[in-house]
Amino acid sequence: MTKFFNDFTYVFQMQSRRSSGFLMFFALIQIMLSLGIVIGFTYLLPSPDPATTLFLATGAPTLILIITGLNILPQQIATAKVEGYVDFMRTWPVKRSVIITADSLLWLLITLPGIAISTLCAHLIFDPGYAITWTIIPALLMIAFTSIGVGYGMAYALPPNASLALSQVIVFGALMFSPINFPMERLPDWLQHLHTVLPLHAMAEVMRAALADSAFSASTGNYITLAIWCVVGYGGAILILNRTK
Amino acid sequence: MVLEVEGVTKIFTRRGKNETVANENITFNIKEGEILGLLGQNGAGKTTLVNQVLGLETPTSGKITLLGHSVVKNPSKGREICSVQPQSQLPLGFMTPSQAVTTMGRMRGGGKAVVEERRKHLFDKLDIAQWADVESAKLSGGARRLTAFCMAVISPGNLVILDEPTNDVDPMRRRLLWDVIRQLTDDGTAVILVTHNVLEADKAVDRVAIMHNGKFLAEGTPAEVKGRVKSQLRLEVSLVNDMPAPDTLRWAISSHRSGGKAIFSVHPNETSTAIEWARKRVDDGSIMDYSLSPTTLEDVYIELTGKELSS
Repeated sequence: MTKFFNDFTYVFQMQSRRSSGFLMFFALIQIMLSLGIVIGFTYLLPSPDPATTLFLATGAPTLILIITGLNILPQQIATAKVEGYVDFMRTWPVKRSVIITADSLLWLLITLPGIAISTLCAHLIFDPGYAITWTIIPALLMIAFTSIGVGYGMAYALPPNASLALSQVIVFGALMFSPINFPMERLPDWLQHLHTVLPLHAMAEVMRAALADSAFSASTGNYITLAIWCVVGYGGAILILNRTK
Repeated sequence: MVLEVEGVTKIFTRRGKNETVANENITFNIKEGEILGLLGQNGAGKTTLVNQVLGLETPTSGKITLLGHSVVKNPSKGREICSVQPQSQLPLGFMTPSQAVTTMGRMRGGGKAVVEERRKHLFDKLDIAQWADVESAKLSGGARRLTAFCMAVISPGNLVILDEPTNDVDPMRRRLLWDVIRQLTDDGTAVILVTHNVLEADKAVDRVAIMHNGKFLAEGTPAEVKGRVKSQLRLEVSLVNDMPAPDTLRWAISSHRSGGKAIFSVHPNETSTAIEWARKRVDDGSIMDYSLSPTTLEDVYIELTGKELSS
């Protein structure tokens, strides 16, 4: 266990220092992005009713986590692969799972300011009717780690160009074609079916239930979907990192 | 023995393409405190061999043993026992050399005080202390390369693998670097030095292996390897005009050209004829100057790999 802590400490230091400038930049972007989702969408929908506002306000944190895990992270890993940094990490005298754990914590940390600030601002400006419960902590961790885990799996499994392209598609899909900022019923049937399998809808439901307990609830199915994707993502990434050629 | 490699063959198979034999039946050992130079051209199979020692790739057949542990059975032993300076420049981003080297030293299990003291020692020895706290992205290629070197040797494993450590490094610091590499072996650390810089390796290594097309063409001490070629003398001339055809010169065993210079291996009994020839050419102005010196590893390397190419 002490070996794990020693390894974790120095891998975390290495990763956070190497990317410190980028990470601060990403944290800032997250703040702007989440504010943009809450405030910007009210321009798109000139006089939103309280239900719509609540949907947007409770959808923003999920989008932040999706953008971080499934867009920014795969881009970073694709670049690190091209630069040879991933190969260098493979020579470190630590378990590969330590590297992934340290990275996951790092990526989780940069999403927190954006989520906190946008939620506070939304509360002060629109008072959408948050009813935050303790479940926000497990919900946040579960959504973050599913998103980061799948992002990892994707970035390690695919060649850099393919994961870059896919990460763009995911962001667009999450923003426009996923029931995160609007109810599932508005989507065509086939997309609804697709979203019962994909993790995006489950993430949104779990987050909403934690942020507005009185208005929304998440099903056990949502939690199971998240757990499966989380395990598949991380499992795949560790498997690929450990694979010898 | 730190490392024992026995009959290692590595074949890459890619879908729809022919098999590539990257390493073919390679056997060698490294003892404590020994420096082995692994010489070879691009694509000779050096990096593949090193990656197998590190447990990053698995041999198609053969055994690799590090301090008695089989790396094939237990790949993580490879990266526990070896520390590495990779061939490519490390993208260290916002990290300073000081942070990168200290963090790596601690990750490899070095104590805080020991790591800090050794970092200072290394930075002073390599004359890079003035860049210790500059963001890596703002450093020159040479300073970054030396940072990567320090990361590999700050808390060295029993075997340190250096892949082209002198690339991008200025001539003055190269000398300092060789000194540090030599000192590294004082406490029994073994070193594999992967390079195509044959001349420098000549002075630095205890043993040398010349690799070509996945095979070892020669292996032994530099003197033994040099003994593989007939001639022990080389004539180097600075050319003014084109190089003379070597087959017209009966004293020349082989020749090659390097920039504005031509290098000939001289037949042992024909030394005086060769000097005579060179002196005349200086007089008539077709060469600028000449020098006669003992055969270097580079000559052996070119002769051995050249033969392989032509056959």
